Amino acid sequence: MRLLSLALAGTLLACLAVGTAGGQEGPDYSREGADTCLSCHEDASTLAIFRTKHAVPSDPRGPFGHGQLQCEACHGPGGEHAGRVRRGQERPAIPYFHPAGTATVEEENGQCLGCHNSGVGFGWHAGEHPVDEVACADCHQMHIARDPVLQTATQPAVCFDCHQAQRTETRKAFAHPFSQGKMDCTGCHSPHGDQVATSLVRQTVNDTCQQCHAEQRGPYLWEHAPVSEDCTLCHSPHGSNHPGMLAKRAPLLCQSCHSQFGHPSIPYGPDELVTGTPSRFLLGQSCLNCHSQVHGSNHPSGSKLMR
Amino acid sequence: MNNTQSKLLLALGAIALAPAIGAQEVDTSDWACEYCPFQQGHEGDYEVGASSVSDDSAYFGNATGYDEEGAYGNLDGEGSYASGAYRMVWTVEDLGLDSRVAELEGSHAGKFDYNIGFRQLPYRQFITTSSIFAEAADALFLPNGWVRAPTTDGFTQLGSSLVSRNIESDRNIYTIGGRYLAGSRFSFSLDYRRQENDGTKIQGGSTFTNASLLPMPFEYVTDEVDFAVRYGADNAFVALSWYLSDFQNDNTALFWEQPFTGAPGADTLAQAQAPESRFQQVTLAGGYSLPELRTVMNLSASMGQITQDTELLPYTINPNLATDPLPRSSLDAEVDTTNFAASITSRIFRKGRIKFSYRYDKRDNKTTQDTWNRVIVDTFPDAGEELNVPYSFERSYLSLSGDYDLFDMLRVSAGYDRRDVDRDFQEVASQSEDTGWGRLRIRPGSGFDIDLRGGASKRDVDNYDEAFAIATGQNPLMRKYHLAYRYREFGEATVSWSPAATPISVSLTGLFADDEYTRSELGLTDADEVSVALDLGWSVTESTSVYLNTAYDTLESTQLGSESFAEPDWRADNEDEFTTIGAGFNIREIGERFDLQLDYMRSEGTSKINLDSAADAPAQFPDLETTLDYLRVRLGFRQSERIEWNLYALYQTFETEDWALEGVTPDALPLLLSLGATPYDEEQVIVGIGFRYQMGAKSGE
Repeated sequence: MRLLSLALAGTLLACLAVGTAGGQEGPDYSREGADTCLSCHEDASTLAIFRTKHAVPSDPRGPFGHGQLQCEACHGPGGEHAGRVRRGQERPAIPYFHPAGTATVEEENGQCLGCHNSGVGFGWHAGEHPVDEVACADCHQMHIARDPVLQTATQPAVCFDCHQAQRTETRKAFAHPFSQGKMDCTGCHSPHGDQVATSLVRQTVNDTCQQCHAEQRGPYLWEHAPVSEDCTLCHSPHGSNHPGMLAKRAPLLCQSCHSQFGHPSIPYGPDELVTGTPSRFLLGQSCLNCHSQVHGSNHPSGSKLMR
Repeated sequence: MNNTQSKLLLALGAIALAPAIGAQEVDTSDWACEYCPFQQGHEGDYEVGASSVSDDSAYFGNATGYDEEGAYGNLDGEGSYASGAYRMVWTVEDLGLDSRVAELEGSHAGKFDYNIGFRQLPYRQFITTSSIFAEAADALFLPNGWVRAPTTDGFTQLGSSLVSRNIESDRNIYTIGGRYLAGSRFSFSLDYRRQENDGTKIQGGSTFTNASLLPMPFEYVTDEVDFAVRYGADNAFVALSWYLSDFQNDNTALFWEQPFTGAPGADTLAQAQAPESRFQQVTLAGGYSLPELRTVMNLSASMGQITQDTELLPYTINPNLATDPLPRSSLDAEVDTTNFAASITSRIFRKGRIKFSYRYDKRDNKTTQDTWNRVIVDTFPDAGEELNVPYSFERSYLSLSGDYDLFDMLRVSAGYDRRDVDRDFQEVASQSEDTGWGRLRIRPGSGFDIDLRGGASKRDVDNYDEAFAIATGQNPLMRKYHLAYRYREFGEATVSWSPAATPISVSLTGLFADDEYTRSELGLTDADEVSVALDLGWSVTESTSVYLNTAYDTLESTQLGSESFAEPDWRADNEDEFTTIGAGFNIREIGERFDLQLDYMRSEGTSKINLDSAADAPAQFPDLETTLDYLRVRLGFRQSERIEWNLYALYQTFETEDWALEGVTPDALPLLLSLGATPYDEEQVIVGIGFRYQMGAKSGE
């Protein structure tokens, strides 16, 4: 036991000595910062960082601003990684964002949130991505002039790496123009999280849809109750086999709720196709041939959504 | 030395180390960054191209602009400029097409940034449509000499009057915005977006017995403004924002001349169109973190108002019908919205995390109720009176969940959610849904990740008011699916493998949801969804990668109806199936100068509808089918460090089988004048060449 006590005391003294020697505290940083790193990492993919917002020397808040830690601001102290290694010894990994690094996702995200906390961090913690241990670097690429996840044309592919069910839906015949590279996920969703269900950019589903489809907002004199509540009660916004991204074909979609005596409750079958006795309740726009104001009507005689 | 002494020494050691780890004062005086190739001046990468399109196509022209056969010139590119703290980046895309984009972002590091942009988004729905109507602003006119008839087979002038009329529109989106950083804590941002959307859409126009599908011109403008003030400190954040969405419509009514023989005086009919409206919302949001407790709290509160005061049309424009004056000349609608959200996320336990969140949404429609005397489709007055129904609702959503790392390789999670909805003027006044779920995440090593989750929910209602249903003409047995009792089971499993030593990734995901509406005698009674997806990615070499992804998705549902307005006497089964496969490869630096990229995708959708009626034998509709094939090849040739040539070839086909359109020529139905839209049967070949030039310094120079 005495031996153990001496060992512990010795360890304590050694720690104190390390903590005060050399005038530089904490984990070892490289001797010359980025210049040390670039003496080995001179490939184009690494150097592309200098084409990004992260590498603006006159940005006092940026990693390459005056007095900042340059590469090591994100990758962590590189002294050990850049130091000499004995022959046959494996070079220690840089602490963060290295394939052989041992940092956890939370620790690596902490590196990003250290600067981006007030803009991103609070919503991030409230969202679902941290539960799934999504790393910032899973979506964002820092060493590239144009981060694909920030470009409309390339962003969906990044999201679909994990959200495969949504990718499947967007490939359906009737979908928003994701496949054409003309719409991105962040038009509707807030991937950094917030308290809105499914991380939407606006407070509700309808508020989000009506950013672009404000013509459906009303408020109408004659409202259609589900329309004012939630667009997704009838539409599948990621895509559908049916025109208009409807969840189901009319008239059956409408007949899921409307059962009034007469034409709303009649089953329209294949004998009412063009090859039989064609029915205006079934063909063309089906119910919408007459009830065309399905999102609501502002006509004094429009209670049946026909005017 | 006893155990207590040992602990004391260890504690002292920890104290001694603490300041050394916590301090981040690094002497960077020698960090000159003299080898850092910071950008100075202009750099850009631009491609001038020409392409040839083999065929007209609405489907493939949608969003792309390649809707017409012929030659297209194009310019794409991106560039940047940097000087000291100033930086600008810009993008131009598809400048020669109707899908053009031009965007510019600029910043002065640490002081301000701004953006300005333009996007055009073409929407092409049908190029097979034709119409008899001539268009002028908000009115559609019959051709000279048109002879009205009670049915389409009496339209003697139809054949000579039909003129091709595409159903299409263009959305132009203008954006401008900026952010000013006032010191390290405050920022102000202002963003403006204008969307101009105009074109032609299909609109049904009906009378009592017949209907016409009209090529309705429309011209919408939506202006949006987002203004926000933010304050951010190390452990706190507050933002106050204001959002405005102002919708303007040049045509708040549509007038059209009735092609059918109609009621006396009903030769011209009118519909209201989307009313102009304004939505404003103020939001106060904030967050506070307690690092010592590893806890973050968020709050958000919004208040908004939607107003609409577009002038109303009269009950009818039929001069033969006398009507009462309108109770109001405009609706003067007002809807107040309230949204509140709060969450607390804590990792107070080293191996665990708990999260509590609450959300409340309210739509309070304060529009005054009045008595209205409807004229039925401009033909005859309704004897009764109607009250307009301003729907309101309140929703609250409470969620509690937790995760715990049982072992390094196993994390367990569980949660409980409750959702309450209160509505007025509907069959169900109060509805609640309880959901419980669990999740296992297993990481056995070697790059494997297994994620299993599942749960169940029960949505219940206090009372489905059959008296209310009867009063609105509904069969009292009907249970609307969003109001009905529902029991749902759901699950999802993902297995992925990304070994560290091998550049391969494999992911297999399956999910299901099984909804049972066991208390619904009419309406939707069950709905099931199953989806499976497989992804493979392999970086064969540093310059060669291949991928394959495939997915299968099916949605099945059953609904019951009653033609006799009593017990169920018919049943419809819907089954939507969808299969997709995508595959391709990318080989760079073939012979150091060539790149070759190939992408292929096939998607097939099939919808089956079976109808089983007491009155008729069971019958199956012809399958609704959609089939898309897409093959794209790009060959790149690097002539020099700055010059690259690209050859493209794209082959794509899209076919649909759709009984709602098949054979529905303008006069196929006696009582419906249609636009004759046909199912899609489109094939398009696009070949193109691009000359790419890189300007300015390259990374590393």
